Amino acid sequence: MTLAIFLVVFAVITLFVILRVTVSRSLRHRNASLPGIEPIDVEAFRNLVNPAEDEYLHRRLPSAEFRRVQRERLRAAAAYIRVAGRNATVLVAVGQAALASSDEKTEEAARQLVDSALLLRRNTSFALLRINLAIAWPSLGLAAAPVLLGYERLNSCAMLLGRLQNPTVPIRISSVS
Amino acid sequence: MLQAHSFLWNYLWVAPNLLVFSLGILLWKRGFSRILPSFLAFAILTAVGDLATFLADVIPSVAPETFWRFFWAELLLESLLKFLVIGEVFSRVFSPYPSIGRLGKVLVSGFGALLVLVAAVIAGFAKGDSVIHIIATAHLLEQTVFIIESGLIIFLFLFAAYFHLSWDRLSFGILFGLGISSCEHLATWAIIANTSPSEHVRTLFAFLNMATYHVAVLTWFYYLLVPGKAPEKSMIRLPENNLAVWNREVERLLHP
Repeated sequence: MTLAIFLVVFAVITLFVILRVTVSRSLRHRNASLPGIEPIDVEAFRNLVNPAEDEYLHRRLPSAEFRRVQRERLRAAAAYIRVAGRNATVLVAVGQAALASSDEKTEEAARQLVDSALLLRRNTSFALLRINLAIAWPSLGLAAAPVLLGYERLNSCAMLLGRLQNPTVPIRISSVS
Repeated sequence: MLQAHSFLWNYLWVAPNLLVFSLGILLWKRGFSRILPSFLAFAILTAVGDLATFLADVIPSVAPETFWRFFWAELLLESLLKFLVIGEVFSRVFSPYPSIGRLGKVLVSGFGALLVLVAAVIAGFAKGDSVIHIIATAHLLEQTVFIIESGLIIFLFLFAAYFHLSWDRLSFGILFGLGISSCEHLATWAIIANTSPSEHVRTLFAFLNMATYHVAVLTWFYYLLVPGKAPEKSMIRLPENNLAVWNREVERLLHP
């Protein structure tokens, strides 16, 4: 009897997830507008994830102070990474919308953009996981280099797609200081 | 009306299979055999298998043991084809993107193996609903197959949702129909295989199973034959910026 209840509950949850995905898919089709892209200060982010900076702070600060500062830096990096992940999600949608283009170059650029955005989304998930571990143990380091690389690759893909779709309007996903 | 071998019973057993068979033939004629080979095989072969089982049920000269052998063979064939269909949908949705395609394959293989293990353990703990071995094991096999099937389907939906990947109409329609059908079948087979309900309740569950499969078949008709709306262009508001400055910044980041 317990097994039956457990399996029925599992079936109901699965059904609920399927119906929820169906509803959100239908809503997305009706409402084509997407949230905007939030620009990221890449330079500040690069500074936060720079291992040389970590090393410098480690040498200069007492252990307790270093751990406190490092935790602050990790939280700041996590905030940047979350924004990068959200931007990647928006760009997945933009790229997928452009996949239906009749122009071969635009379609290829869109496919590359989606692939890069998915890679970034994957990397941000892993990086956030590691950052949370690093907040608990600050000596582990940031390990966010793949995110930075992914974001840079995404920049060039978004720019290429933007150029192909609308040469007069630029796309920006990083802020420029 | 809600009795075994009533008109409604016969209709719900035969009609969905005739419909899915005709859907398979129609799609094959439209050249879908290259796009959805597994689904086409599933549509045609399971319909033939299920109709053969129906005939084995209604022809008086067929012995009960022969019927249950038919049932077993059809269940094994149908299960194999369904897993091929799920694999086909997975390839259609994730393979175009190598960045998550490989990760998806690793995760779906691992999760699939875990589901097989869990389903086997659950089957081991089930007490069985019949003293006749071939019937009890057939019901347990149904439960096992639907645990794995529902688990794989929910995994695909959640994995795509996490990455905000949109589904193409064909893949979504196939998995949606299969998902609805597998969830309902899992719930009913779990109750049948673990609680030994009365004959009347079993008959009601059989009606529910057949009706849900009918709905799934109609869902496939809708998604596979009715053309969807043309995709709209993204209306995202792009922030104002100077492309030359942006270009310079990217160059500086790429080549520090």
